[in-house]
Amino acid sequence: MTAKPKTIWDKLEDIPREILYGLLLVCIIVPMLFPIGFPVPISAEVKRWYDTIEALPAGSVVMVDFGYSGGGEPELAPFAVATYAQLFRKADIKVVTMSTASEGPLLWEKAMTELNIARFGKEYGKDYIHIGYIAGTETAMAAVGKSISATTTTDYKGTPLSKYSIMQGVDSAEDFALLIEYTTGGDQSEGWVRQWYTSYKTPYLCCVLAMMVPTMLPYQKAGQIVSVVSGAQAGQIEILVKAPGRGVKSADVITVTHLLCIALVVVGNIAYFGKKFSGGKS
Amino acid sequence: MELASVVQIWLAALFTIWIYSIAFRDNPFFKFAEHTFVGAAAGHSLVYGVDNIVRYGWAPLTAGNILYSIVFILGIIMYMRYHKTYFWVSRVPMALIVGIGIGLTLRSTVTSEFIAQIISTASMKVLGLDAWAAFSNLIFIIITLATVYFFIFTFPKAQGGRLSLISTIARYGMMAAFGYSFANTVLSRFNMIFGRIDFLMNTWLVLPYAMLALPVVLILVIYAMIPAEKRPWPKTKK
Repeated sequence: MTAKPKTIWDKLEDIPREILYGLLLVCIIVPMLFPIGFPVPISAEVKRWYDTIEALPAGSVVMVDFGYSGGGEPELAPFAVATYAQLFRKADIKVVTMSTASEGPLLWEKAMTELNIARFGKEYGKDYIHIGYIAGTETAMAAVGKSISATTTTDYKGTPLSKYSIMQGVDSAEDFALLIEYTTGGDQSEGWVRQWYTSYKTPYLCCVLAMMVPTMLPYQKAGQIVSVVSGAQAGQIEILVKAPGRGVKSADVITVTHLLCIALVVVGNIAYFGKKFSGGKS
Repeated sequence: MELASVVQIWLAALFTIWIYSIAFRDNPFFKFAEHTFVGAAAGHSLVYGVDNIVRYGWAPLTAGNILYSIVFILGIIMYMRYHKTYFWVSRVPMALIVGIGIGLTLRSTVTSEFIAQIISTASMKVLGLDAWAAFSNLIFIIITLATVYFFIFTFPKAQGGRLSLISTIARYGMMAAFGYSFANTVLSRFNMIFGRIDFLMNTWLVLPYAMLALPVVLILVIYAMIPAEKRPWPKTKK
């Protein structure tokens, strides 16, 4: 029995993945080599994120959870770096960072290198600190909210926290003016709502992977999170902070790759309906 | 640049190319990268596990906080699950872990995930807003009610006849939400690919000899994608 020859609709419906990924690669590399400069409009969420940090009074202490894993680094790191730049430009703001993901401290070091922290004249232990990876996710959040000193006695390098001036007078969630979260996990992003916002009413900014945004939006709508953004919006915060980096660079690539996606959806639909109307099975 | 950083960048670049090569075809380089990644991740977790025991258990215990010995005893009891007769003892620490987790979560779940969400939805306005906001809120309310109906009233009479309209609205609403989630997932994936290619182009390829190495690496990966029996070399035994 001979197989029926493939029609044009069959071929369009079954484009080899090598071609699809090849096209995707071209759509990523070409805009990187020849930037198009698509505009990066600022969304209401990113503006609210920026304004919340701008409104912090001098002397505020901010808690940051560097809770993403290596897989989320390309998306979340540019947003984190731009936000640190905004925080460090403000006078007299102290930033305490912790990690609810085991890779957090390593990725935080990488982000600090990318930020080139020396240009802000900030000092480790006086203006900012990383208190390390604290295991337990939600139990860690609850424990840190209750008492940092009872939860951990050292920073991520193993140096006692008592040696750092930044930790003087900072111990529980009530000492923090703002909570900022970068995460690739739903347990973390929702856990902070339960353990910090609900218990202490700490204003909460949440940066997650784009795919997690729909899950987090109801919390923003209910006023439990000030702003929910995705790492893909990094270009917007970089523009607001006036520190263009990876986020702005990715705007062209993201736009072109999405245009490819739309084109492929159209091709798929043409093949589907073409096959249907030419009498073939759809 | 320090030698350690250069080695790190080269390894990261090679592993990136090998891992992404699966998008085109399975090959031994991908397998090697995949197995190395799994091994490295397991090793990393083990180191952090030991570090956590030292940091949160051993250090306070040796500092004189005798209560931490209970934690160690509970931890050791966990391993009783491998004992044929006394495996049930391991359920005690497990029950404690689950109990603490549930207790911590539940103390605020009702407030944060039920009451706050219900208040937020119930207080939505449809009148006295601009047309777009009113329309948007109206759609939100209709789809929320229809979806709640869809999952609560599951018996056939509640889903048939004219009432099937409610289920249809709920299904379309959920499909729209899943579509939005999927579109965001695609966006996340593209961002990840961009991040790695940006690393290859702006961190790796700027290093000495990287430009020369790139075609060699790509040729080797493409060669490895050819099925073993069709490769001119090395010959596979039949």
